[in-house]
Amino acid sequence: MTAVTSFDAAPPVDAPPARPANGVVFNGVEGAFWRLLSRGGVLLLVTLGLYRFWLQTDVRRFLWNNTEIAGENLEYIGTARELLLGFLVAIVFLAPLYAIFGLASLATEWVQQLAGLFSLVALAVLGQFAVYRARRYRLSRTIYRGIRFHQTGSAWRYAVCAIFWWGMIGMTLGLAYPWAQASLERFKIRNTYYGDLRGEFAGSGTRLFFRGVLLWFVVVAPFVLSQIVAGAMFDGNLAGEAAKQGTRSGASALDAAGTGPAVAASILGTLWLVIAVAVLYPAFQAMVLRWWISGLRFGELTATSHLRTGTIYGLYWRFVWMSLVLAAVVGVVGFFAVKTVFSAADGQRLPFGVVEISLAIAFYVVTALAYSTIYQATVKLPFWRHGFESVELKNVEVLDRVRAAPATGSPVGEGFADALHVGGI
Amino acid sequence: MLAAGKAIFFDGVTSAKRLVRIELAPDVLVIRDEEHRDVLARWRYDRLDHLVAPSGVLRLGEIGAAVPARLEVRDPALATAIDEASVPVDRSGARERRSRMKVVGWSVVAVAVLVLAAVYGVPALADKIAPLVPLRAELWLGNAVDGQVRKMLDTGGASRPFECGGGAGEGAGRAALVKLIGKLEKAAALPIPLDTKVVRRSEANAVALPGGHIYVFEGLIAKSESADEVAGIIAHEIGHVAHRDGTRALLQSAGLSFLFGMLLGDFVGGSAVVVGARAVLRSSYTREVESAADRYAVDLMSRAGGDQRALAVVLNRIAGAIHPGMEILRDHPDTQARVKLINDLATASAPQPLLEPSEWAALKRICTGR
Repeated sequence: MTAVTSFDAAPPVDAPPARPANGVVFNGVEGAFWRLLSRGGVLLLVTLGLYRFWLQTDVRRFLWNNTEIAGENLEYIGTARELLLGFLVAIVFLAPLYAIFGLASLATEWVQQLAGLFSLVALAVLGQFAVYRARRYRLSRTIYRGIRFHQTGSAWRYAVCAIFWWGMIGMTLGLAYPWAQASLERFKIRNTYYGDLRGEFAGSGTRLFFRGVLLWFVVVAPFVLSQIVAGAMFDGNLAGEAAKQGTRSGASALDAAGTGPAVAASILGTLWLVIAVAVLYPAFQAMVLRWWISGLRFGELTATSHLRTGTIYGLYWRFVWMSLVLAAVVGVVGFFAVKTVFSAADGQRLPFGVVEISLAIAFYVVTALAYSTIYQATVKLPFWRHGFESVELKNVEVLDRVRAAPATGSPVGEGFADALHVGGI
Repeated sequence: MLAAGKAIFFDGVTSAKRLVRIELAPDVLVIRDEEHRDVLARWRYDRLDHLVAPSGVLRLGEIGAAVPARLEVRDPALATAIDEASVPVDRSGARERRSRMKVVGWSVVAVAVLVLAAVYGVPALADKIAPLVPLRAELWLGNAVDGQVRKMLDTGGASRPFECGGGAGEGAGRAALVKLIGKLEKAAALPIPLDTKVVRRSEANAVALPGGHIYVFEGLIAKSESADEVAGIIAHEIGHVAHRDGTRALLQSAGLSFLFGMLLGDFVGGSAVVVGARAVLRSSYTREVESAADRYAVDLMSRAGGDQRALAVVLNRIAGAIHPGMEILRDHPDTQARVKLINDLATASAPQPLLEPSEWAALKRICTGR
């Protein structure tokens, strides 16, 4: 500790520039991130996707390394080789499953249905299992001030809890979401350690519920109401009669069953849902992110987020207009390409050879990759930046006293779940 | 050469940040606490681990160390001096670029090998495995596929039965079909029984599935002008059954799904590459298979005593109604080439019509009854 005191008392010439000691700063330059992504996109194309492990690792290195917490940077030490190895291991496990489900799809009907149901459940559980394991991998590859993060807890238990909570969310039409988030985040954060410092999650589901229930009433409630009204208007028995009668008299019977207004109510409700989600989703994301960050605790260390909702709207706005520009460019290029091909064809033969089909596919893939690049650079990166920069830390001196955890398990070979591409960044 | 300087050190045991003085000794980097001057660590130059760091920072670790101790040098002159002293430290990034080029190179080679495997390996493997599939397994497979294909083909609703020959006035047509199939089946002497049906679909086509299931579409009966033409088409489909092409196609499809679905293409837009590649590859597999079935049909028709050229005649008539183009995605070889092949193979003979004129007239009415 004396070393630190002396360091603070007399800052040497090579000390980092003065920063708010209780804050988080992101130093990443957006231009560099664009270059990284576009070069990665080209290489993805050339290698039909095999390069994804390297690109993923580069993106994480960029984000981690440029994130400065209380004056020190995070460090990502994961390697693409680990991800590749994990992917190969995953194939060893998934290929037989894949073969079994393939065979089951050829069997009799009830076996098919059973296999379909089973594969759905298995996929959901495996997906959540992978989410938890991928988080463990990322944490174990994160170093801060020479100390590793790590995660404990059973991934299977997490998967079962997550499936339970997502089921509850579905059954309550989203009303259970705050408590689901609070419970799952508590599970994750309590199992998260920085050295010997254990995380704690203080976010309350009830508080999130009261903050967000207005959004629910604006977005979901009108939709649910419209479906109920439509159901009440529509007389099932009368419609059934109509179906039994011929087309002529059936049509008037369908009118009597109230089909027209019922369908109209249902469509209007759905339209409302789509528009309201599009308009209010950024506000929802900002609210949940603020709540989540403000719930984080590491011992005495507490975090408070001052994330502004307008910031999130701003970044989505930028994404929307860049997407529109991309769409315009793609439209113009596509139009001229198709025109050229059609005028080259002699009118007799439809212009579809190997070359044309390959070009069309390449065009589509390039467009999709460009779109994904824009999304990563204008949504993912700003989310990371603003999420971290909105944080105000209290009691940062806790970070000076952390000790490495004894034997945090094998650091290698956990890329398995991570390779399945779960958990975003 | 600079022999000493200041840096920041994290010992990997606690998170305490220490200001240190480092000295460049001949073989080792000596890290001393700046205040107390006691040695915190000695790292050999060849054991230095050059780590990723923000710009302007040289971050070092020790290769193979038990804890991730970190040394951060921000003084450019000192960083240069360490770079010169240590082989693993490479601030120019040349080594990183080289290794990345190697990754890209090997990935491209891997993709090329996988594509070659898809074009040549998968069909060759399917050819080898298909004859080894036991007939009982093929029959089981056939029944399963039959149920699915029937559901896919049957789009007519419940108003009329999907299969022809069961309704009033269709019995005579059914009897004619049974006779025609009987003649062909006797000549073919297959190890499994055939199950041939005429079904209500307007396309002029016929399909063969694993396990001897053959569907002849109503549209084909309508386009045909003699029983031998229908027989020619059915003989072609029997060729698929005899060559076990259905099983082979299933094996190929599974192989392609594995290669392109699991190993490659897991990126944005990749699914388009997968779908495109599969469509092109599958049609390239089937064209050779179709020629083989044509050869089989000519031979079978000659054994059954029918008109060997009837298949060519009906193919020509059907092709007239289909737009040319989409060549790469067409399952069947060019019609002109097929007609030429059939006519070249056909031997001079005096064919006996396989059905009596009255039986042919009945077969024509198998779906209409009138």
